[in-house]
Amino acid sequence: MAAAPDSYKNRQFLAVIGDEDTVTGMLLAGIGHVTPAPNSSQNFLIVDAKTETANIEKTFDEFTGRKDVGILLINQHIAEKIRYKLDTFTAAFPAVLEIPSKDHPYDPEKDTVLKRVRRLFGE
Amino acid sequence: MSGAGNREQVFATRQSLGVMKSKLKGAEIGHSLLKRKSEALTKRFREITRRIDEAKRKMGRVLQIAAFSLAEVAYATGSTGNLSYEIAQSVSQARFRLRTRQENVSGVLLPAFEVFMTEGGQAGGDFALTGLGRGGQQVQRAREVYSKAVETLVELASLQTAFVILDDVIKVVNRRVNAIEHVVIPRTENTIKYINSELDELDREEFYRLKKVQGKKQREAAGAEAEAKERRLALEEKGVTHEEKSDLLGDEEDEDVIF
Amino acid sequence: MEGLYFNVHSGYLEGIVRGYRNSLLTSSNYSNLTQCETLDDLKLQLSASYGDALANVPSPLSTSVIASKATDKLISEFRYLRANATGSLAKFMDYLTYGYMIDNVALLITGTLHERDTRELLERCHPLGTFETMPVLCVATNVEELYNSVLVETPLAPYFKGNLSSADLDELNIEIIRNTLYKSYLEDFHHFCVTEPGLAGTPTAEIMSEILSFEADRRAINITLNSFGTELSKQDRKKLYPNFGLLYPDGTAALARADDVEGVRAAVDGIGEYKAFFEQGAFGHSMGGSQPKSLEDLFYMREMQLAKDSFTQQFSYAIVFSWLKLKEQEIRNITWIAECIAQHQKERINNYISVF
Repeated sequence: MAAAPDSYKNRQFLAVIGDEDTVTGMLLAGIGHVTPAPNSSQNFLIVDAKTETANIEKTFDEFTGRKDVGILLINQHIAEKIRYKLDTFTAAFPAVLEIPSKDHPYDPEKDTVLKRVRRLFGE
Repeated sequence: MSGAGNREQVFATRQSLGVMKSKLKGAEIGHSLLKRKSEALTKRFREITRRIDEAKRKMGRVLQIAAFSLAEVAYATGSTGNLSYEIAQSVSQARFRLRTRQENVSGVLLPAFEVFMTEGGQAGGDFALTGLGRGGQQVQRAREVYSKAVETLVELASLQTAFVILDDVIKVVNRRVNAIEHVVIPRTENTIKYINSELDELDREEFYRLKKVQGKKQREAAGAEAEAKERRLALEEKGVTHEEKSDLLGDEEDEDVIF
Repeated sequence: MEGLYFNVHSGYLEGIVRGYRNSLLTSSNYSNLTQCETLDDLKLQLSASYGDALANVPSPLSTSVIASKATDKLISEFRYLRANATGSLAKFMDYLTYGYMIDNVALLITGTLHERDTRELLERCHPLGTFETMPVLCVATNVEELYNSVLVETPLAPYFKGNLSSADLDELNIEIIRNTLYKSYLEDFHHFCVTEPGLAGTPTAEIMSEILSFEADRRAINITLNSFGTELSKQDRKKLYPNFGLLYPDGTAALARADDVEGVRAAVDGIGEYKAFFEQGAFGHSMGGSQPKSLEDLFYMREMQLAKDSFTQQFSYAIVFSWLKLKEQEIRNITWIAECIAQHQKERINNYISVF
């Protein structure tokens, strides 16, 4: 039933997929982590108008698959692009949080988790 | 509740009746315990969902303020384009990390995230010198605001994880409660009923047999008595005294005692 | 005397710049802008001065688009001026671009250090700070190469020489590199303004000296304030102070010793204007509607004041510099107002600095 402790005790990072401002802010707060080369990886992705959806999907899969990521933050307007992925992602770890961005205020109607909440209470 | 079909395969004996009765009792206790657990969890669950709802709304506000602090940085430094890029490039080690701790709610371990700052390095981490020439104070402020925002997010993430886990656990518990209530208990009760009815059946058969035996004995006894009477009358006619016949040890009149 | 020949070579440009200056937004324009409810309203209000730049922007507008379009306009105007400039004015305008160049170089160094695709970096560079060899940077893959083959070719080379070696690029924090360069740049620019044959003794030298002194002091004070609580040692900090300005040498020496805000306050005590800043500025607090202005804001206001005043003098190149600064402030103001509108933070919207 409850997740085994070792499935989350090593999860000490946050990851973020967002627009430039959101990511910059999060990095300023100090969540950024870049592992050194050779297999260098970073725990953030800046999405702009040119970023392809396939790349977002790939990064989403990568972050959710990582064993050291406890929380994945994703801008809601970006989450919209890969909504089906969020809807099918039901694991407890990492926790996927949809956050608003500067240009896109938060809309509770679209949030996967809140949708689930409402369904449970039959609203 | 479909009678004979839904019961366990047991021999209807008094011993298995005892076993079934204790099983029923166990199931009932288990049921009430699980029911209480489920209620406790559901209570918690509702609380969490309520808090998620609140926290999500709060997050909207917090992040708006945070985004605005970045606008201040933009105002002070002229543009954020290059600043963002340099920040993204100068990231090395995460200063802001998570620790998980567990909370026990009615036997369910809920992980909760906690924030901690890695030791070492100066307060500003990788970006202490960002905006040194100008805008440093705004950058500093944006950093603080965002740190607070991230803390809020972490709190929310804890709630959300708890939500997902509790959701699963509650489903499992409720399934068990229902299984006990609708399957195990009726089944055991049916079995008990079955055993009881079998035992009753046996009892009735036995009773009937005994009655038969008794009836037969009574008939025989009545016949024997009538015969004896006849004989006595005949003897009296012949003048034989009663005393002669009252010999208790006389073999011929006694039957074997059979039950 | 200087006025006699000024108009021969620079009269046209002076006229143009003064014309540009008159097209800057005024307080009544700003107050109209702050009344806007949406960015589209804002666009409408801006149509007088930015109509051509914003006309073809499709909805929905974003603040970054507005800012970049406004910047584009500034750049095209600047380029026009530069193309028509001759002699020492051309040189003067080149100096103006060096500041942006420093930012670009800092960006490129950061990118190269982290082995990023430099092509992507070029897009992010400030257009005013481009230099001929910049595309060559794509070739440079490590810092050594960058230093030896690219940076020495740029006008910034003298600022690198003697201050930074290629090893420094690798080790020092990029902000320190940037500020070291900036310090050298300010000193050089100042030197240029007061010694260049065509400029020495002219109003240009006089005004630019004042403006650059202020800029130097502002940097010194800012660096000091921002370095508290960081790994930047006092020794290193001292190296970042420009060696001129109102504070130099006594004030900067005192700044170098300062440990906290009080120390800075004591260091600038001798200069009336800065002293006043510390008295009225709620230091360390954000700029807010009802709150006192932050030090940063006060510096900007002072800068704008100086820029505005420089237009009262004739026969001076300083107006180009001032116009550039005023225009940049205007873009910042517009961006700020746009942000406030986009993020529904109307209570802070009046925090812009209106000059005219």
